Amino acid sequence: MSERLPHIPNPDDAFAGAAAGNDTALPPTYFDRPLLKAPHWGWNVVTYLFLGGIMGGLGLIALLADERREDERRLRRTARFASLALAAANPAILISHLGRPERFLHMLRIVKFKSPMSLGVWGLVLYSGVAGANVVRELSEVRVLPRWMRHLAPGVLTPLQALLGAFIAGYTGVLLSATANPLWGAGKRHIPAISVTSGAASACALASFLSVLGDNHDVVRRLERLELVASAAELALLVDFRRHASRYGDPLFTGTRGERLYSMTIVTGIVAPAALNLIGAVVALPKPLDRLRTIAASALTLLGGYMLRDTLIEAGKASAQDPHAGAIQPR
Amino acid sequence: MATGFFTDTTLCIGCKACEVACKQWNELPSDGFTFTGTSYDNTSELSGTTWRHVAFVEQMQLHESGLADRWLMMSDVCKHCTHAGCLEACPTGAIIRTEFDSVFIQPDICNGCGYCVVSCPFGVVDLIEKVDPNGTRYNLATLNEARREAEETAVQGRGGVAGKCTLCYDRQTLGVVPACAKACPTESIQFGEIDELRAHASERVERLRQRGVDATLYGADDVGGGVGALNAFFLLTDRPETYNLPSQPVLPSTRQPAGYLCAAFAALGLALAGWAIFRSGRAS
Repeated sequence: MSERLPHIPNPDDAFAGAAAGNDTALPPTYFDRPLLKAPHWGWNVVTYLFLGGIMGGLGLIALLADERREDERRLRRTARFASLALAAANPAILISHLGRPERFLHMLRIVKFKSPMSLGVWGLVLYSGVAGANVVRELSEVRVLPRWMRHLAPGVLTPLQALLGAFIAGYTGVLLSATANPLWGAGKRHIPAISVTSGAASACALASFLSVLGDNHDVVRRLERLELVASAAELALLVDFRRHASRYGDPLFTGTRGERLYSMTIVTGIVAPAALNLIGAVVALPKPLDRLRTIAASALTLLGGYMLRDTLIEAGKASAQDPHAGAIQPR
Repeated sequence: MATGFFTDTTLCIGCKACEVACKQWNELPSDGFTFTGTSYDNTSELSGTTWRHVAFVEQMQLHESGLADRWLMMSDVCKHCTHAGCLEACPTGAIIRTEFDSVFIQPDICNGCGYCVVSCPFGVVDLIEKVDPNGTRYNLATLNEARREAEETAVQGRGGVAGKCTLCYDRQTLGVVPACAKACPTESIQFGEIDELRAHASERVERLRQRGVDATLYGADDVGGGVGALNAFFLLTDRPETYNLPSQPVLPSTRQPAGYLCAAFAALGLALAGWAIFRSGRAS
């Protein structure tokens, strides 16, 4: 009977045609039902990825800060305290998304190199330990804890925290890109790099905000310059992701989620704070106004970073609904 | 001993005995009833509590020679891949490879992180909702009385974990054929040693082709993308996506090296930029 059916084009060619905007070339699927399952992740995973990125950036900031300079020593202290606070909050958020939260510890019964989720949890555990030791060192330096306790955290723990932080920030991207989800899979190179750059920008924003509150104004300019570099890299990666992902990228870059990405992440989270930071670098504003400017830029960057993850997760859910993308999965 | 399923779709009559037998043996709760209007398929998809799903494909096309129509039926199931995305992704080690070469979720280990759900290139694994005593989200009506009172199912406990076909691991340990294959009245679902099944399947394809049927095997050999061969493979008479199977599945873990590498490059770049910025701040 089958020879009486008309010839249907090779799906490879059809998909290439569809990528060029010709949807009629797509072969019929099973009642247009989704082929893949959508993630059930909600706000908690979004927050987890967002805070994970910041933890990574804070590790880098603590490494960059020079101990011999008073303002940078204070910055390092700020970064260390903030990173420990995030390292304490993040496991709780991760646990809250589990179907069986009481079984969280089952994640610590094995180490699996092929599972980003497993490696990430271990990275988080190690990072928490190192961040805790570094905070003990800070507390012993300000004499809250006995002075000898600073030896509990040798100097090597600072670059180690930065290294673990870079891993955590990167893994939050690999966690998404190393799945069967077509959108995330199409971003196998871009999403991890975007996670790192966006995490670093958010960390700079958080550190600037805390430094302004702590009246450590001198380091803010340096942080804002690093934030500018990270945000610019993030924007460039997003543009390249759009170009590279072709049809797979549509759930993220078009429609309501596309509008949200452009308005909340690109305009609000990258362009607006960059403009504010540039104004700060060029114009000498009076101090109260300058403080306000930093706080506004930081808040916008953090909002943009959160919305980036939120839009990415929501777009992943939409991408899983596309049976054509599920049938021919990105390499 | 590696065992598996060979599902010959040319023999399927769409009776759904496999769906029923699977639900009964595994004490899987009802998913409720939705009238989909898409042929005879009101099951819609494989899920955490539906481990066999019969797809109905209605094809009708008008030609000069008249009306060409056919009605394809296929009982879908977990593929028990050679390189299983779910197994690689599972952070708890709940998902294991059994002595029968099948992929099995240990329900008492799984903590419901959901990472296997997004890591299956075939969209098979799904989370089972938490058991709701009011039965609003989770229908316990089909369970036996004792289980219903305990508000739990045999293999999933109280829900909140991932679920999929076990290839009847429990029955296999007793030397019994999986429930779906046992129930299938036309031997569309065949269970056996994987090598024997493959040999039999290629014979069957040859025979069908001689009769002019455009039959192909899906998953008897490597399906590509790093997934390898499938321990539950199919004989199809149309392209895979017609049956909601991916024509080009990709093993998710193959994307990891590129991801980690690009993240490392980004981190290194930022570290260098930060170094330059903070050092120039020092000079001024």
